[in-house]
Amino acid sequence: MSYRSSFISILLMMLPVASTAMAHDASKYPDLKGQWTIIITPGLEGQAVKFDPTKPWGRGQEAPLTAEYRQVHEDSMADQAKGGLGNYPTATCHAGGMPRMMSIGEYEYIVESDTTYILVGGEDHYRRIFTDGRPWPAEIEPTYAGYSIGKWLDEDGTGRFSVLEVETRGPFKGPRAYDATGLPLHFDNQSIFKERFYLDKTEPNILHDMITVIDHALTRPWTVDKTYRRNPNPRPNWREFYCVDGNVHIVIGKENYYLSAEGLLMPAKKDQAPPDLRYFKKSSK
Amino acid sequence: MRDQASMLKMTLAALVVLANTASWSFDETKYPDWSGQWRRPARIGNQWDTSKPVSKQEAPLTAEYQAIFEANRADQAAGGQGTDPTYTCIPDGMPRAMNVIFPMEIIIQPSVTHVIIEYLSMLRRIYTDGRPWPADPTPSFMGYSIGKWIDEDGDGRYDLLEVETRDLKGPRAFDASGIPLHADNQTIVKERIYLDKANANVLHDEVTTIDHALTRPWTVLKSYDRVPNPIWIEAICAESNQLVRIGSEIYMFSADGRLMPAKKNQPPPDLKYFNQSRK
Repeated sequence: MSYRSSFISILLMMLPVASTAMAHDASKYPDLKGQWTIIITPGLEGQAVKFDPTKPWGRGQEAPLTAEYRQVHEDSMADQAKGGLGNYPTATCHAGGMPRMMSIGEYEYIVESDTTYILVGGEDHYRRIFTDGRPWPAEIEPTYAGYSIGKWLDEDGTGRFSVLEVETRGPFKGPRAYDATGLPLHFDNQSIFKERFYLDKTEPNILHDMITVIDHALTRPWTVDKTYRRNPNPRPNWREFYCVDGNVHIVIGKENYYLSAEGLLMPAKKDQAPPDLRYFKKSSK
Repeated sequence: MRDQASMLKMTLAALVVLANTASWSFDETKYPDWSGQWRRPARIGNQWDTSKPVSKQEAPLTAEYQAIFEANRADQAAGGQGTDPTYTCIPDGMPRAMNVIFPMEIIIQPSVTHVIIEYLSMLRRIYTDGRPWPADPTPSFMGYSIGKWIDEDGDGRYDLLEVETRDLKGPRAFDASGIPLHADNQTIVKERIYLDKANANVLHDEVTTIDHALTRPWTVLKSYDRVPNPIWIEAICAESNQLVRIGSEIYMFSADGRLMPAKKNQPPPDLKYFNQSRK
């Protein structure tokens, strides 16, 4: 009788803890805590912000562009060589959006039962990946980051989730580019992104984002494996970066200009005409 | 005997489950429910002290900073931006970020509470892991925040988050009227964040600003309403900003994208770096 009573007492003791602590069982999810920084193959030409981190930027990315969009890319680089912005408005602090926002800086992941947040920082917004089983909305407001729905998978049957599969749809805002050469996504902003996030099986401090772009500027879906390394410091330093703080580009009309060290307008291109000042009174010139 | 052995096994099994349950280190039931989207209440403006009109904030400014504020008001009346620095799309920073110009989300985790504000991707990390203040901080617009959860009513559940924020950079103002904070950026912001006792869909943030532009600490009570079925917007300032700074002047963009004066009789920008023969 005493054993039965003890057992019942233990059961009763367990119930409130078990039921109330079930709201979010963190042990079911992979440990994505900490600061993640993208891993770039060293020694490659160009900037570090690029879609395929194992290849040089720009033409070196070997993006499967259509002929039309290969020309858009070439035109962008030609304009930039003369001092223009090309197809890269991010230089004037517009958001980079998807997929560029997965190629920069330091990331933090917050995993909740109904949403996984990716904190990106800078000019790009946060990503909310909804994992609450919701359907796609009938209408999606255009954004640079897109609308993301995800699903956790237990691929190896351990009772613990190991993969987050995500689909991100638009319509997107644009223009968007993969990197600062203006490697373009289609101006129709109908991109779709499919991602698989998972910890490396042999090194749990490496996170994979296997990302596939489906876009009308491409001849086929383009998949790369972006990897990120976890900072071993359990209290990492989070930098605050805002593009506008010190940005020297100004776009007036369709022309890109620079600001000199003293903050005055100066041409970005050789023989560039000054801006049209028709709205200023001639007497105040 | 068999019955006792079975009971013992079941008891041991229950104990194992209990141990595993106890090892789920974050018991969210101990924390208040601050989930969802928080917005300024309807008909509440973006001014710092929402209990007072924009034009009568009565900030306890020192004489020096009152003069700066008055000059700012005159400049704004003439079409300038005065001491409101956010026209270039720099973030509001603290404490202004808590005006919550666009909606906010708060995510509570064991060692940090994230405050995500849907404008300029303003993000606050409020560390609740007992860490000390950093020895060599990097100033930022949002500052460095350390918080502590308090169970004020002794019911075994936290109901109040006390926060202190330091290590700020500028320039910053309290709101769009340009009420200035001191240029020395030595501001300290203290907050008490808690749900309304009568309405769990109202969140309060009692904010006290300690700053050398003020004659005394300035405390205001800010409140936010929880929004059911939220829609999250993406507010990108640079996308629609109609203001630009060239030299020491702020100009506007016309509807056709050309430069135009922001003030009456404002001179055009100095074009000395342009090849004058191209005009």
